Amino acid sequence: MDGVTAPLLALRGVTKRFGGLVATNDLSLDVFPGEVHALIGPNGAGKTTLIGQMTGELRPDSGQIRFDGVDVRRLSAPRRARLGIGRTFQITQLLREDSALANVAMAVQAGQGHSFRFWQEVRGDASLREAALMALDRVGLLARASVPVAALAHGERKQLELAVALAQAPRLLVLDEPMAGLGPVESQAMTGILAGLKGHVAMLLVEHDMDAVFALADRITVLVYGAAIASGPPAEIRRDPKVLAAYLSEEMG
Amino acid sequence: MGEAGLRVRRLLPWLGLAVLFAVPVIVQRLGMPSLLGLATRIVIMGLAASSLNLLLGYGGLVSFGHAAYFGLGAYAVGILNAQFVSGDPLLGVIPGTDELAVTLPVAMLVSGAFALVLGALCLRTVGVPFIMITLAFAQMLYFLFVSLKAYGGDDGLLIRRPNVLASLNLRDGATMYWIAASCLVAYLLVCGRAMRARFGRVIAGQRQSPRRMAALGIATYPYKLVLFGMAGMGAGLAGALMANFSRFVSPDMMHWTQSGDLLIMVVIGGAGRLWGPLLGAAVLIGLETLLSGWTQYWQIVLGPILVLVALSGPGMRRRIGWTA
Repeated sequence: MDGVTAPLLALRGVTKRFGGLVATNDLSLDVFPGEVHALIGPNGAGKTTLIGQMTGELRPDSGQIRFDGVDVRRLSAPRRARLGIGRTFQITQLLREDSALANVAMAVQAGQGHSFRFWQEVRGDASLREAALMALDRVGLLARASVPVAALAHGERKQLELAVALAQAPRLLVLDEPMAGLGPVESQAMTGILAGLKGHVAMLLVEHDMDAVFALADRITVLVYGAAIASGPPAEIRRDPKVLAAYLSEEMG
Repeated sequence: MGEAGLRVRRLLPWLGLAVLFAVPVIVQRLGMPSLLGLATRIVIMGLAASSLNLLLGYGGLVSFGHAAYFGLGAYAVGILNAQFVSGDPLLGVIPGTDELAVTLPVAMLVSGAFALVLGALCLRTVGVPFIMITLAFAQMLYFLFVSLKAYGGDDGLLIRRPNVLASLNLRDGATMYWIAASCLVAYLLVCGRAMRARFGRVIAGQRQSPRRMAALGIATYPYKLVLFGMAGMGAGLAGALMANFSRFVSPDMMHWTQSGDLLIMVVIGGAGRLWGPLLGAAVLIGLETLLSGWTQYWQIVLGPILVLVALSGPGMRRRIGWTA
C-alpha cells in the first residue's frame, strides 16, 4: 500500500447492525487520491449499506470514517457531499419531470453556493448551462440534453447519473453499480467513460460486472457477510483461494 | 408550431389578464352586476388556493391546515379594525387601524410568521404525519379563536366599515374586485418568478427526489421553510382581502373544511400550474353557487363531480406521484 500519500477516504473498524444482522463487520478500507478501488461481493454482502455509511445516509454503530482527514461519521449526507463526496445511485435518483440538462444544471447550481435566489430565472443562466452541457458531453449525452428523464432509456439514465455526479466536481466518486441493467455494448461504453476519468477523481466502485471491475480497478476489496475477506490488486484477488471459494468461482465460471 | 401559433401563445397571458381585469365592466354590460361579488370571492379564494399551490403543487407538501393562515390574515384585519373603532391599542401598545396599506402587510407578516413557526415543526415529519400535524395545528388555532370572546368567539367579528385606501371606496364592488385581482396578479408574478429561479429549482428537486438533493449537498429544510412562509403570506393576504370584502371574520374561516376546499381548488385546477388554483376556485365556487340554487342537497351532486374531475385531471396524480 502507498505509504506516502494519505488516503482520501479512510474507514476503520466500521460496524453496522440491523437488529441481529451484522451488515458491516469491523470493516477497514482506504481510497487513495486518484485510484479506483472496487468493492465486490455476492448479493447481500452489505455493499449498499456500506455506501450508505460513506455518503451519510446511514450512521455506523461504531468505527471511524475520515474523508481527507476530517471525521465525517456524524455529518449528514448534504454536508459530506459539500466536502467532495459525489455518488451515483444503483436505482437512478433523477428529477424525472426535468430534462437531462436541467438535472445536471441542478448539480452545478448546488456547487455554486446557496440557492436563496428568487428572481433571476435559471433558464437564462449561462454559468449553469455551460457547465451542465460540459458534464453531459463527458458522458456522451450532449445530443439528449433537452430530453426529459422520463423519456430517456435505462442506459442513458445511468449515464446521466454519472454526469450529475461529475457536475458536482467531487474528489471522491462513489459508484453504486453503474453497469447494473446495461447491455454488453452499453457496459463497455460506461467502462470507457470511467476509464477516461481514472486519475482525475478517486472512485469507489461497487459493481457485479467483473469485466468492468478488472478493467478499471487499481485495488479490489471483497466483501462477504459485511466483512472484508481480501483486499489487494486485481491480480492477487484473482488468485486468492478465499475469494475463489466465497465468490469468484461462481461469478467467473 | 407555426409562427402564428407562437404569437397566439405569447398573447394568451395578456389576453387572460385583460379579461381578469375587465370582469367588472363585462358583468355590468351583461346586466348581471350581482355576479361581481361572486367573481371577487373567486379571485380571493383563488389567491388563497394559489398560496397552497406553492406547498402542494410545487413543493409536494400536502398541507391540510392552510385555512389557518387564511383565517389569521382575516383576524389581523378584524382585530386591528376593532381596536381602531374602540380606540384602545391592542395589548396596550399596538394601535388599531383601518388603513388597507397597513392592514394587508400586517396580515401577511402575521400569517407568514405563523407559517414559519408551524412549518419549522411540521417539516420535521413527512407523509401522513405531516398532513395530520398541519391539520392539528390549524384546528388548535380554530378552537383558540372560537374561545376568544373578546373578538366575538364563535359568533365572529363584524367589520362595519371596510378599510380605507387613499380615496378609494372599498364598498364599491368594482374597486374591491380590482384590489383583489391586483393582489392575486402581483402574488402570482412574484411566486412564478421564484419558482423559475434557483429557489424554485430546489423546491422542484426535493419534490421529485429528496435523496438526489441530499447527494447534491443541498439540505432542503430551510428552503421548504421559506416556501412555507411565502405560502402563509399569500393565504394571509387572501384572508385580509376576504375580511374587507365580506366585512365579517369568524373562526369558520380557519376550520378544516375550509382547508379542504382550498385543497380541492388546487387539485381541480391542476397542482403545480401557476394559474390552476384560480381556475379551480372558479369551478368549485361556481358549481357551489349553481347547484345550491338548484337543490338544497347540492353537495350530493358536487361530490361525484369533484371525484370525476380529480380522477381525470393530471394535476394531483402527476404531482404527488400517484400514477397508476
